[in-house]
Amino acid sequence: MIPYLTKEDFKVIGFNLCRIGNVLGFLLLVPIIVAVIYKEFDIVPHFIIASAVTFILCNVGIHFLQTDKKMELKHALCLAAVAWIFCMPLAAIPLWSTGTTGSYLDANFDAMSGFTTTGLSLAQGVDHLPYSINFYRHFLQFVGGIGIIVVSLMILSKSEISSVLAFKGEARDMGIRPNIVRTSRIILGIALTFMVLGAVLFSVVAISEGANVGTSVFDGVNYSMAAFSTGGFAPHSQSILFYHSTLYEIVALVMFLIGSFNFTFHYAVLSGKRREIFKNIEIKTVFITLTLSTLVIAGLLLYFNVYSSASILFRKAFFQAASAHTTTGFGTINSAQIAGLWPSAVLFLMSIIMILGACANSTGGGIKAIRVGIIIKSFFREIKKALSPSSAVVTEKYHHIEDTPLTDTIARGAMLIALGYVILFVFGTTVTVLCGYNASNSMYETGSAVGNVGLSSGITSPAMPAPLKITYIFLMWAGRLEIIAVLVLIGFVILALRKGVRRR
Amino acid sequence: MGLRSFSLRAFLKKNLDFIAGILGEVGLTAAIMAVAFAICVLLVLIKSVV
Repeated sequence: MIPYLTKEDFKVIGFNLCRIGNVLGFLLLVPIIVAVIYKEFDIVPHFIIASAVTFILCNVGIHFLQTDKKMELKHALCLAAVAWIFCMPLAAIPLWSTGTTGSYLDANFDAMSGFTTTGLSLAQGVDHLPYSINFYRHFLQFVGGIGIIVVSLMILSKSEISSVLAFKGEARDMGIRPNIVRTSRIILGIALTFMVLGAVLFSVVAISEGANVGTSVFDGVNYSMAAFSTGGFAPHSQSILFYHSTLYEIVALVMFLIGSFNFTFHYAVLSGKRREIFKNIEIKTVFITLTLSTLVIAGLLLYFNVYSSASILFRKAFFQAASAHTTTGFGTINSAQIAGLWPSAVLFLMSIIMILGACANSTGGGIKAIRVGIIIKSFFREIKKALSPSSAVVTEKYHHIEDTPLTDTIARGAMLIALGYVILFVFGTTVTVLCGYNASNSMYETGSAVGNVGLSSGITSPAMPAPLKITYIFLMWAGRLEIIAVLVLIGFVILALRKGVRRR
Repeated sequence: MGLRSFSLRAFLKKNLDFIAGILGEVGLTAAIMAVAFAICVLLVLIKSVV
């Protein structure tokens, strides 16, 4: 029997939502440090107001929704889905009040894009934004990347049910350690290690290219946060192209490729299981799909005479393919060039790569490499079955930290999630086309939103219709939650409404 | 006092797995990039011949 959500259940969800909101209230104060460092004192009140609104709202909620009832799986799934929607309008306040975006809807768009590590942006005059606001945009991606819920739970809760919330909601289905506090610390530790290394590398390269030290370090920190979070926001409107440096692009590639790997994989490799690099199904899948994508995209761009040299193909075709596959969104060409120069066939292929996505339990989005690997293996298993005698038992296994037999249930689960992404992609493309954009650009933009990528063919701009902005906010949210948590939430709401109607 | 007692050898020995792991992951990304660059070179060569 499907469980109904009672009034008490809603109180549990609301109570814990407000506790997560309190964490956001603290996080909204972090950019003040940057504002003070860069003497942007006029920006400070915007963050204080946003933080105060968040604290007041959440503590009033906590006061009225106080409950002793323990969290259960149904609460956790709903909370994982609602937390993003709840945090979005609060995080949007400073973006709107400082005029970073043209409207409050645009600010919500950027906040959701930040939290879901998408990277599509409606911010105006990115090159002239105050340092603290630019830092805040990247900080949102950092928080969203390592999981706003993981951060919240690390501070708020020590109970085992927390691990369900942190890993189920975003299909992070394999806890590194059973204890959530330890798991959260390990994830944070891994993320911070790579981010510090990335910031140092970005800064050193920028300084060696002749940029001034202050800008180099500020950009280095921001690019590092965005790259490891596979986010895609950049402190410059030209994204990574701003530096016109191959070395800078290579550092970005290293950072976002590492950011797209599974945290469980990171933990295994960093604790001595280096053979995992050669055996892990996700790494193998990413290697194969990215290599094939590069081959086809570079081949097509060469065939259509868009580019002619190997180094340019590497910097344009491979960089864009890797950025799309890891769901990062950094670009070495601008959106006008993508829409104007690249053939429709390449845009279509890029849309598919964006939906395939990065590794599970990483900062990336999309279907995820483990599911793609499982679907491919299932495909070959079925062929083997068809070719084998009827009495033969065909078994298949895959390696992800440990050997796991490939069962029909696992294969069905992977295919269902993939189907969900296809439905979202078709829905988004249809809405975009209905708003008057051409089909190939619409597919590219929708793939970018659903896969939480951030590459743009130019559709995403403050001038796009409001219904399309709302559609993309929904796509970014549903794509980040891998659809299931969204469907569970919708199911519970419908059931609760039907029960309410029956009572009346 | 802390710096005086610091031993690079002891630090590396203690964190060998961690450092080797980071280098392993960087090596993996380097391998991915090397294969991609080889593909780009190969495609340009094929186009120049055909």
